[in-house]
This record gives sequence, C-alpha cells and structure tokens, in this order.
Amino acid sequence: MAASAALRIDLPMARMASPVTFADGVREHQDEVYGVALRITGDREAALDVASSTFLKAYRAFDRYDQTRPLRHWLLRIATNESITYVRKRGRELRRRVEVEQATTLADPTALPDAESVAREDRARIRTAVSLLPELYRVVIVLRYFNDLSVDEIAHVTKRPASTVGVQLLRGRALLRSALEGGR
Amino acid sequence: MKSDRRDEDLFDETRLRRALRLEAAELPPRIDVAAIAARVRADRPAFAAASLVSALFAGIAAAGLVGLVAAALPAVAPAVASDLFTAVIRMLTRVAVPASGLLSLAEQPAVPIAAIALLAVAIVHEYKLRREPVREVTS
Repeated sequence: MAASAALRIDLPMARMASPVTFADGVREHQDEVYGVALRITGDREAALDVASSTFLKAYRAFDRYDQTRPLRHWLLRIATNESITYVRKRGRELRRRVEVEQATTLADPTALPDAESVAREDRARIRTAVSLLPELYRVVIVLRYFNDLSVDEIAHVTKRPASTVGVQLLRGRALLRSALEGGR
Repeated sequence: MKSDRRDEDLFDETRLRRALRLEAAELPPRIDVAAIAARVRADRPAFAAASLVSALFAGIAAAGLVGLVAAALPAVAPAVASDLFTAVIRMLTRVAVPASGLLSLAEQPAVPIAAIALLAVAIVHEYKLRREPVREVTS
C-alpha cells in the first residue's frame, strides 16, 4: 500500500483534472504496444526492448502529453517510431528475407495436416509475409489489422495523410496477397 | 465480379486479423512501472549532464560562428560593397538607354499631347451629354 502510494507520488501527473495516470496507461496498453512492436520488428526480444523504451520515453514526456488526445494513439505512435528506428538500425530486412525464404522451404513434411496445424501454418505464413513487407506498408498493415485502427487513426499515429494511408493499405494488401499466392 | 472482389478482400482482412493477433504464448511479461520510474530517476543526472554538455557545445559553436563572421566581415565587406555598387550601376545603365528615348519623346513640343488631351476631354464631355437624358428618364 505504501509502495503504491509512493509510486503515485513519483509518477508524473500531466494535469490534475485528468484521471489518466501513467500507470493506468501502461496497464491498459502494454500488450498492444508490445504487439505492434513484435509485428513490426518480427523479433520477440526486439519487441520487448521497443516496448520498454516506448514506456520509458512516454514516462519522460508524460508531462508534455496532450491529454485531450487518446493516450493509446500517443503510445502507439512512440512504439511505431521506436520499432521503425530499431528495424532500420539493425538492418534486419535483408537478413530476415533470406531466413524466411529458407524457413518456407523447411516445412516439416511429416507434420500431420490436421486443422489446427494447417491454421498455425497459415498464421505463420501470413506473419512471415507481413514481416517481409517494406516498412512503409508493414506499419500501416499492422496498425490496421493488429491494432484495429481506422484509416484516420493510422494517419494520426503515423502523421501521414489519410489518403496516403488508404493507398498504402491497398498496396500493402496487394503485396501480401501476391506474396501468399506466390508461396503456395 | 465486384462482390467477388469484396468477398476476397473481407476474407483477406479476417485472415490477416486472425494471423496477427497475439497468442497466449506470445504475451509479454508485465511491465513494471516502478522500475521505469526508478530507471528514469537513475538516468536523470546523466541525462541532465548530457543536456548541459550539448547546450554548452552548441553555445560555444554559435559563439565561434558569430566571432568568425564578425572577423571576416570587415575584410569581405569592401569587396562585397564594391560588387554590389558595380551591379547597381550596370543595371542603371541598362535601364537608362531605353528610358532616355522615352524621356526625349516626352520632352518634344507639347502640341501632340495637348491635342490628345483635348480629344480626351471632348470624348468625356460627349459621353456625359449622352448619359444625361437616360438619367432623366430613369428618375
């Protein structure tokens, strides 16, 4: 009890009138922040790093966060930017392309084709195809189909025009479809 | 045809959503807010020192730049001023040649100008006279 009281004192409170605390934000959105990082980076360890650096940055900037806007979008924006930075810094794109190409040819031929394993394989193929999309399209696809954001919300999070987001979604989906059909 | 396309899109979207969803095994360990707060507190002195150093560096660089400009200006100013003066004179010369022709035309005896002015006054007067009856009728 004392610890939580101390925590409440230590945490930055943006506005006295606002009911949202940083701890609430973390509790509510940590899975989503981690998930968007995981789907963009395609790496569990990287996603954990990105999620923790996202919340660290958010904590530092919480006093400056505009509470009239949704906390979720703000956190997703930081997480998306952090993920992009991570992917660029590590130059993983090219390496993963090779790894995934190898992985698609290494499907276990002895595996039983029951419904569960077929579904799992399908999910894995789609995730792989998403992780191979160019970063531009991958981000909007993940925000749309993992985070369930609307086109306008994605535009707000990525700071891109809504029309651009719409086109990138279409293009991303087309690329995904051709990748999935090509992999068959 | 169009509905087929739409169905295909919907199918893709559902598949995508399902595939991207986090599975139970993928859920991350809970993030410790207190640990974040502690880390920020621990980083704060280093962060402040880094900000101070960068601000200091930026200040020194700006001062150096201002000093360099201040030192170089007296040396460069005469040359720049001379170039500017030459450019202005050249431009004036270029403008003066056609302008002198126009000016000499304007200095000619005022007969044609007076004739033109007379003509203009006559036209205006005539125009006014023609408009008078219209005004009377309408009022």
